[in-house]
Amino acid sequence: MNVLGLALKLLWRDWRAGELTLLLASLVIAVGTVTSVTLFVDRLQQALVAESATFLAADRVIRSGDPIDPEIVRHAESMGLQTSETLGFASMVFSEDRAQFSSVKAVDGDYPLRGRLIAGDEPFVRGYPVESGPAPGELWIESRLFPSLDVQPGDLIDVGVASFPVTKVLIKEPDRGGGFSNAGPRVLMNIADVPATEVVQPGSRLSYRYLFAGDWDTLEEFSDWAASRIGPEARMFGVKEGTEGIGEALDRGERFLLLGSLLGVVLAGVAIALAAQRYSLRHYDHVAIMKTLGATPQRVDLIFIAIFVILGTVSTILGALIGLGMQAGVAEILSPYIPIELPAPTMKPVLLGLVTGFICLLSFALPPLLKLRSIEPVRVIRRDLGDPGVSGSLTYGFAVAGTLGLMWWYSQDLYLTLMIFSGAVVSLVILFSIAFLMLRSGRVVGMQAGSAWRLALAGMQRRGRENTLQILVFGLAIMLLLILYLVRTALITEWHAQIPEDAPNHFAINISPEDVAPIRELLGENGVESQPLYPMIRGRITTVNGELASERDKRIGERGEDAPRSSSGRNLTWSEILPDDNQIVDGEWWPENYSGPPLVSLERDLAYRNQLEVGDELVFTVQGIEIPTRIANIRSVAWDNMQPNFYIIFAPGSLEEFPSTFMTSFYLSKDRKLFLNELLREYPTMTVIEIDALIEQVQRIIDQVTLAIELVLVLIIASGGLVLLASIQASMDERMKQHAILRTLGAGRKLVLGSLLIEFCALGLFAGILATIGSEITVFMLETEIFELEYTVNPQLWVLGPVVGIILIGAAGILATRRVVETPPASVLRELA
Amino acid sequence: MIKTKDLGKTVSTSEGQLTILKGIDLEIKKSESVAIVGASGSGKTTLLSLLAGLDTPTAGQIFLGDYEITALDEEERARVRSELVGFVFQSFQLLASLSAIENVMLPSELRGDTGAEAKARELLERVELGHRTNHYPRQLSGGEQQRVAIARAFASSVDILFADEPTGNLDTTTGQHIIDLIFELNKEFGTTLVLVTHDQRLADRCDRTIHIASGEIINPEPAPAVVQGIVEGSAI
Repeated sequence: MNVLGLALKLLWRDWRAGELTLLLASLVIAVGTVTSVTLFVDRLQQALVAESATFLAADRVIRSGDPIDPEIVRHAESMGLQTSETLGFASMVFSEDRAQFSSVKAVDGDYPLRGRLIAGDEPFVRGYPVESGPAPGELWIESRLFPSLDVQPGDLIDVGVASFPVTKVLIKEPDRGGGFSNAGPRVLMNIADVPATEVVQPGSRLSYRYLFAGDWDTLEEFSDWAASRIGPEARMFGVKEGTEGIGEALDRGERFLLLGSLLGVVLAGVAIALAAQRYSLRHYDHVAIMKTLGATPQRVDLIFIAIFVILGTVSTILGALIGLGMQAGVAEILSPYIPIELPAPTMKPVLLGLVTGFICLLSFALPPLLKLRSIEPVRVIRRDLGDPGVSGSLTYGFAVAGTLGLMWWYSQDLYLTLMIFSGAVVSLVILFSIAFLMLRSGRVVGMQAGSAWRLALAGMQRRGRENTLQILVFGLAIMLLLILYLVRTALITEWHAQIPEDAPNHFAINISPEDVAPIRELLGENGVESQPLYPMIRGRITTVNGELASERDKRIGERGEDAPRSSSGRNLTWSEILPDDNQIVDGEWWPENYSGPPLVSLERDLAYRNQLEVGDELVFTVQGIEIPTRIANIRSVAWDNMQPNFYIIFAPGSLEEFPSTFMTSFYLSKDRKLFLNELLREYPTMTVIEIDALIEQVQRIIDQVTLAIELVLVLIIASGGLVLLASIQASMDERMKQHAILRTLGAGRKLVLGSLLIEFCALGLFAGILATIGSEITVFMLETEIFELEYTVNPQLWVLGPVVGIILIGAAGILATRRVVETPPASVLRELA
Repeated sequence: MIKTKDLGKTVSTSEGQLTILKGIDLEIKKSESVAIVGASGSGKTTLLSLLAGLDTPTAGQIFLGDYEITALDEEERARVRSELVGFVFQSFQLLASLSAIENVMLPSELRGDTGAEAKARELLERVELGHRTNHYPRQLSGGEQQRVAIARAFASSVDILFADEPTGNLDTTTGQHIIDLIFELNKEFGTTLVLVTHDQRLADRCDRTIHIASGEIINPEPAPAVVQGIVEGSAI
């Protein structure tokens, strides 16, 4: 009979005898979990990116103050990308007897490429989605403009020298962001009508946006091609770079999901290793007999490799199918709670799941099976021959290489992989020593305790090596779960703290100095909380240490597509105190009442990307006058905090003489939106930038990422549970045998169950303590190095870890071994003979 | 059929080197039945496992049929076992996950022989277990398990049968039955039989007995050539 036939036969017989159940279950669930997590993460990521793309109304945007080379758009179209063009500018618009400063956006018929426009037939309604913007000759305006211009749908409005009827109410546009060109209530028109308005004149402040959408690879290719062809003033960005608050949340969310998948893979690997170890152990005698009967080591290898391949194929396919079903089920169950529509799953994660399954098998299941070749046939006579004890380095080598390879493959991030891996290895060594010491101390305590205790703890120490390993495995599983839980909690807390419920959602700019006090008063009277009012003056750096800033920019060259340039025009402010959420990273903030030579504070990104340091001499040009200054400090800015933030802050004493305007930000709830009209009527020169819609969208995305994270956590917990079960099963035979002998000797049910319970609870306690120590260390490293979060000690963990350990391991252990008191001891002994 | 020259086995223990067997010279002829007897710990089981090629000696040579198995590696020894050797053990050593018939079929399957099932069925009939072919070891009594093991040993038409305390785990009546069965089949198949036993009745049924104490043969029999010479001489 050929090897394959024999392997199939043996496999079938093993299956029938129940020897394969645990191994197959571990494999299937491991592959299933990895596939479903990967699939789900993939679908969620696609959905989140797609949803976030609506912030831009596109996948990629080129923004420029001037029209870009039309060849760029033509090239994009020739590559099969969808394109659209919009033009934004600020302008006064007029009704019959009123005027309002507005933010006008002109769009073409293809706009928006992503997301949807919501329009209504009368102001202040929910509206309905429409396919495209206004047709030529029509205007859409937002609800707030109806009362402030005193118009009704159908009335005429003048933009520049042209008049258009208002045909619809603009309720929502996907890419309504912040920014100065978006200040003021929105007027949406067709781009074909712009020339007729004659508002676009040389020197006008315009914002051209070229939108692109299509598949990822084409977009990447196009971006690479276009990067060198867009002018220096133009900027190209995608979802992550283009939207405040979202990029970071998505990045961290993705990293978390990735971490979740990685830990899922490791857990799956451990489960497979344990199950394979048990399978191999139970086949020692099997192989010895086969060898006695003439099976050569090579034949044994071939048979078990064939078994491995068959098992691997069946379980990975089965696992992938289950994974597919599981994630579809989860997605279905959760669809009412997931506000976005998940795109159909792609084949890539299924393939990933299959390959992962096989690599897991190869790394974790093959080594124990290969051990079988070294079983000595004389074992049939001398049962005292233990483990073949070979291929230790091979076993670990396979596992290490497999884990590292998979982690790297998943994360595409060698740093993250090495960090988690080396952290885990160091923790394992330390934890192994601690576990061993704990076991010894358990023995000392146990000797003084009652008989069930003595029995349990003596048993634990007798199987010292196995139990130390088991504590490690339990500890590892609990640790991974705690890590995920902690990082998730830290992420979510951080996000919620970043954009609290009452985060400022309106910016007010162009406030004249004489209006500062009355506006502050008006806001106060209406119970609107605002940030301090900051003066704002336009200016730019002209020289750095005597070198022309524009020359220096060229010399420094490429700094990444979104790097701020030192020579660009910026809004400058001055302040006596360091604004909230800013932190000095180099140098020192100036003292209060500072009156020395001019000093400036630079934002970290601006300073580092332009190689500027504390002490450098900068000359600013403000309203035609040169101000020589020195960099006093460099500070980090929380750009996501929705408050007025500045790249450059002057010390008091240099900018006060220049005529300036002021800005602030404040929070206004939805139902008080009309207060804006009152404010603007009273102070018509000021401009209000509304970012409430943007914040709402950011919060929605963050809620979705949070949900995704929690789902993945649940899936990983399931695979953690599997590891626990596999680990308990792997040590079952020995325990069953020992307790069957005890029962034969007359030990009562209570004593046997009691000692088992104590043994598992003690293992759980030790594992919990290890898990706590391990997760504190790892979470510290992850939070500070990978997620860039503030690390805080987790005192609740020191209770949670051990308690979870005791409950989980105690319950799982008793459930798995209770059979020993329910089955006659003779049956147990005969079965294990 | 089996021959050893100055065979020895030493193992390392925490208290130094321990000699289990030394200077064993013996020869067993084809179709001969030999009992190896001795007290517990005398080294008889080790001798059996060395003769069968299950273990390797630290000194001397072993010849099995045409092979010097001490010069072979495990791969080649396994082939020799497959070709020449069958076993019956004290603890039966049936595979718990296989039914009676599957256990008997296993050696033939490992060799890739055809007709394994028919042959196994025939042998199970021969050991009076034709009605229990699909039973698992745990569903069989000790005597029945040993009969399955005997059927398995003869399943691959081997030349030598090694038996390690084949009646050690059985009561007297069942043991007697098993002894009868082994000798009947041995005769029928013309097999060389080497068995290790404490059971004097079993040893008495063999053509010859080798006594072992402290790792040495204590009744060195005359070398077969000498025996042959005397016999031939007396005939003259």
